[in-house]
Amino acid sequence: MGKYKHFIIVAVLVVLTTLGLKFLVFGPMFQLPVQASEQGVSIDTMFEGHFWMISFLFALIMVLVFYSAVVFRRKPGDETDGPHVHGNTALEIIWTVVPVFAVVGFGIWGGVTLKQLLSPVPDEMTIKVTGRQWAWSFQYPEYEDINSAELVLLKDQPVVLELSSSDVLHSFWVPEFRVKQDAVPGRTTTLRITPTMAGEYKVRCAEICGFDHANMLAPVRVLEQAEFTAWADERMNAPKFGEMTPEERGALWYSNEGFACEGCHTIDGTAATAPSWLSVYGRSEQLTDGTTVTVDDAYIRQSILDPQSQIVAGFEAVQMPADFGDQFSAKQAEIAATEGVEIDIINDIIAYMQTLK
Amino acid sequence: MSSMIANTHEEHAHSHELPWPEQLKANRLGLWLFMLSEVFLFAALLVARFVLWNDPVLGVVRPELSQELGLITTTVLLLSSFFMNRAETAMGQNDQKRFLSGLLTTAVLGTAFFIGVVVMEWNIFGLQGELFGIELFGHLRPSDGVISGIFFAMTGMHALHVLSGIVFIMIVWNNGRRGLYTQEKHWGVEACAIYWHYVDVVWVFFYPALYLIGTAVHAM
Amino acid sequence: MGKLRIILTSAYVRGLIGQLVGTLLGIGFLEAIRGAMGLSPTGATFNLFGTEVAESSFVFGAIIGVIGFLSAAGVLTDWFKWMIGLKTPLNHGAPAGKPEWSRYLNVDVNHKVIGIQYGITSILVLLVGGIFAIIFRIELAQPGMQWLTNDQYNTLFSAHGIVMIASILLGVGAMTNYLVPLMIGASDMAFPRLNAFSYWVGVPSVVLILAGMAVGGWDTGWVGYAPLSLRAPLGVQLFLLGFWINGFSSIASAINVIVTTATMRAKGMTWFRMPIFVWAAVAASLIQFTATQTVGVALMMSIAERAIGLNFFSPVGGGNPILYQHLFWFYSHPVVYVFVLPGLGVISELLPVFTRKPLFGYKWIALSSLGIALVGFLVWAHHMFTAGMADSLRYLFMFTTMFVAIPTGVKFFSWVATLWEGKMSFETPMLFTLGAISVFLIGGISGPILGTVPTDLHLHDSYWVVGHFHATMFGGFIFPFFAALYYWYPKITGRMYKESLGRLHFWLMVPGFWVMSFGQMSLGIAGMRRRIADYEAGLGFEATHILVTMAALVIGWSVLIMVYNFISSARTQEKAATNPWRSRSPEWQIPSPAPEFNYDVPFEVVGDPYDYGLDESTYIQMAPAPAGD
Ligand code: HEA
Ligand code: HEA
Ligand code: CUA
Ligand SMILES: [Cu+2]
Repeated sequence: MGKYKHFIIVAVLVVLTTLGLKFLVFGPMFQLPVQASEQGVSIDTMFEGHFWMISFLFALIMVLVFYSAVVFRRKPGDETDGPHVHGNTALEIIWTVVPVFAVVGFGIWGGVTLKQLLSPVPDEMTIKVTGRQWAWSFQYPEYEDINSAELVLLKDQPVVLELSSSDVLHSFWVPEFRVKQDAVPGRTTTLRITPTMAGEYKVRCAEICGFDHANMLAPVRVLEQAEFTAWADERMNAPKFGEMTPEERGALWYSNEGFACEGCHTIDGTAATAPSWLSVYGRSEQLTDGTTVTVDDAYIRQSILDPQSQIVAGFEAVQMPADFGDQFSAKQAEIAATEGVEIDIINDIIAYMQTLK
Repeated sequence: MSSMIANTHEEHAHSHELPWPEQLKANRLGLWLFMLSEVFLFAALLVARFVLWNDPVLGVVRPELSQELGLITTTVLLLSSFFMNRAETAMGQNDQKRFLSGLLTTAVLGTAFFIGVVVMEWNIFGLQGELFGIELFGHLRPSDGVISGIFFAMTGMHALHVLSGIVFIMIVWNNGRRGLYTQEKHWGVEACAIYWHYVDVVWVFFYPALYLIGTAVHAM
Repeated sequence: MGKLRIILTSAYVRGLIGQLVGTLLGIGFLEAIRGAMGLSPTGATFNLFGTEVAESSFVFGAIIGVIGFLSAAGVLTDWFKWMIGLKTPLNHGAPAGKPEWSRYLNVDVNHKVIGIQYGITSILVLLVGGIFAIIFRIELAQPGMQWLTNDQYNTLFSAHGIVMIASILLGVGAMTNYLVPLMIGASDMAFPRLNAFSYWVGVPSVVLILAGMAVGGWDTGWVGYAPLSLRAPLGVQLFLLGFWINGFSSIASAINVIVTTATMRAKGMTWFRMPIFVWAAVAASLIQFTATQTVGVALMMSIAERAIGLNFFSPVGGGNPILYQHLFWFYSHPVVYVFVLPGLGVISELLPVFTRKPLFGYKWIALSSLGIALVGFLVWAHHMFTAGMADSLRYLFMFTTMFVAIPTGVKFFSWVATLWEGKMSFETPMLFTLGAISVFLIGGISGPILGTVPTDLHLHDSYWVVGHFHATMFGGFIFPFFAALYYWYPKITGRMYKESLGRLHFWLMVPGFWVMSFGQMSLGIAGMRRRIADYEAGLGFEATHILVTMAALVIGWSVLIMVYNFISSARTQEKAATNPWRSRSPEWQIPSPAPEFNYDVPFEVVGDPYDYGLDESTYIQMAPAPAGD
């Protein structure tokens, strides 16, 4: 023992502390959500590797610090100095070079895993994902352009998500699937996911996108083959816009599948961020400038096209995007092109409002 | 609270500047570091230019600008650097007259450049005119999307430096006129000259990036 | 002169009035021009005293306001005089006919006064940022919105982030300004007036940021990503401006530090004989005076895009939102090493003193600071792994990011080797140093997991990141800064702080911090996004959030104990010994507080700085004093 006594004790302590940290501290403390995608498999393995490294490095340094603090500390009354040791070049080189191997190792591991996450696989299903303040919508080009406010996936079917945004940055994240990708206005980004576990999850917007970022969620359902086909069939046979009544269309526009009015306006009378639509049509509203208006067609049209113009008292901080006019025109043009019918979305919405009594 | 600086040795309290040669050394280093710092400013603008003026089809693009106007303003600026150099060497030779006239010429040329950019190229007064078939006034507007944005940013940032350079020159000229600089001790002149040459060199990089490189397009 | 009168005529009060007047004049001026030319405003308009004011007028007003502050405070006086050819001798010492303490309320060129001004401002700003944190932490303690609206929450966390960063930059300024000249044996900084400017321009910049909260706030976080920043309320404009103005302070003070170190070292002080903190200060300054310019460009572009409608980042006109992120992170990654390098320097400086052993591997530690600074320039895009940049960049930046671990590791291992067999004692500064090592360690090793892209795809924008950077910033800045405050407190005031309160502060703050940071990390792994005002019940986050909030309160109280300790000890404690820590560093060989020009007689360096345990060795030798002194 002798000279090496300290080193042997420290080595034993480091091993024990590493194990203790890994299994008793970090293990329970750092719990990943359930793993529901194939991508999660290789990512979680990598997490394990990192947790081992964190446990070891933390143990190594802290054991040395505590050991020195306890064993070598200054005894009361001792005014002398410690040993005069200036340094040791061999040691410095070792603790420069060994970590180089560690980080290069992790780099290669990360690179290989990333390559795998990015590579296309055969028979991918494409889904277009659009983020807007503060809702998600999903289109299925391979299923007659189904337009959905929930993301419905087929278990074990690889999908490639093509993300875009109609206003600011958003980020697509389902924690159970692990991977994440920003939606950037003006360009398309992609993300590959293969769900492996049927169940219900949520898309959580992970990039600050303004007022209601916290609540920019969308349901995700991973279905078995039969259920998925049933869902897709039902959605593909859903009535065409031209065949729907204005009220039905209005309800659609109101939902997250449409223009996500429901993100702010409730239909049950509660009014958190914006006036509720319950019995709104024909109601008298007090405006911030003190005047009173009756909610009629003209007022509604005006409020949608220029939300800042007439503000109901109590809702001073208007968060509503001002570009619904443009969004509506684009949608109307699209419907005119595909179905040959002219519709007026604002009229639909007014019709829908009138049903909310 | 007691004073946080001990008040011993009162007699030192009002006379403690660095000896001049040391201060001069420090000044020089400080100025060069500042120039280096500004390299990052202008480099960032240049990078932004190459990122933003990049068309998926055409590759690197640039706005359609009057080549003649660009060439003239550039020449004027380069010429000004020559006069600045003359002024500085004149100071070194204690030739007060040539020094002052050199400074003034530089300032006049600098102002001409400034007018060339702000009044003519930017056309802030919305003028129109031609001389010898050369269009005198630019037509880019701030609202021309990304093709104008970085153009105004780069020329604007540079023009701001030119403007401050002119002010600097006029201050040095005024101080020089009153005989505050000597053959041995004229840091103000030296700093002013370095700054002016620097602003010139920046334009040497900006000019091709704005006027020459890439396919010319109308507003995007 | 009465006390009140001195305070009311101090540079702070004059400056703030100047800023207000300047702002109003600026707005009025531009509005008048606009009216005369019949221009209609681009961008938003704002109601000021019943008239609609264009955003561009606001921006112009804010800039004139800052100039107003500086002129009224008297920062620019000497330069104005120089412009018209007047003599401008450097005035040292307290202003004539006023008490000594009034120096600290006015523009002063002495580096120690400026350092103290920086330090006190830094602590005040820290308290403001901390109060913001506590307000929104209470909101987060439970799911559902309790007492804030989304808007208020978003503004508070954004302001918390940037205010804290301003506080760090001020704290870095405090340490470098106070210590560098003392340590290298200079009488002052190379450019004392510029030094004063660096400090004073920071004040109106913080005022602008705080004012932004009053005019609508902003919801972009401290990063201000476009295009969100282009649609946010007017508050974001003042945030951008304040951030930008703060850059002037960084650049000027960094240049000053480098020049001072390069040209004003005492005789015999070669680069490898400087106290190690000076190396850290220089490395941090190298980053500050270069990278700051690029964020300046990003901010200016955002300001211009909002105010005058130039297009850079909004995709509507063909702009590129990712460009903003590149320009922003090219500064904002390296700047995290500006935060920590001086702090790590303090750790390296204090360890030898309290272990009575030489610093292990001085050269390696010194060069690792440079290494961190240089590698730090090559990793910025690791904040953008999910942003939609080219895939090749993801691989590249993954590797470069991992490499920062190496020079940082050299520091850790060398510290541990310094501790090994050292005769450690545990006064408050040493406690905070050890705390710093442990906290920065967990901050550091929670970094590589973010650096490998596959794991970052899960962790990005989650509370893991929040935990990571609180640990790095507390370990790399807050803990060492507190260690430095306790350690140099006797130097600054000439009196000793109360040891018992110092220890209480430590033993409250350390557990508080561990709970807070580990709590945040575990939330992040479990799927908690950052920057959300609210989270759903039933995800298993509730208990941890309550713990984190309670930890925040503990940290808050402990900081208040420190503030109380410092204020009360300055009046009541007994005089401190000249060299209470038995340090070899030059600043401890002269009386406390240090004299106006530091060393009445220059010293000469004759040995190595940390030769503890080597008999008969000295670091510096004071030249024989001139007769009669
Ligand atoms: C003081 C501040 C500070 C410091 C020092 C660091 C240090 C590091 N940071 Fe951190 N970081 C921040 C402040 C800081 N960071 C902030 C503020 C953010 C968020 C910004 C925002 O979005 O708001 C952030 C975010 C951030 C991200 C982006 C996360 C995301 O948004 O997705 C990443 C990704 O790579 C990262 C990585 C690292 C790494 C690898 C280090 C390394 O420098 C750490 C190196 C240290 C060690 C590794 C420990 C000691 C070393 C050893 C003991 C040697 C052996 C080690 C190995 C073999 C690994 N950081
Ligand atoms: C040095 C930098 C620094 C410091 C010290 C802190 C300190 C603290 N921070 Fe942090 N924080 C950041 C820098 C910092 N922060 C940054 C850059 C962000 C990112 C912002 C963004 O996303 O854009 C952030 C974001 C951030 C978040 C994430 C917000 C979100 O994403 O929604 C949280 C949440 O818990 C948090 C909490 C805290 C807490 C509880 C403290 C505590 O330690 C505070 C302790 C309090 C004090 C030091 C003040 C002293 C107390 C008083 C004066 C009052 C005492 C009163 C009572 C006790 C009642 N911070
Ligand atoms: Cu969308 Cu956050
Ligand atoms: Cu970083």
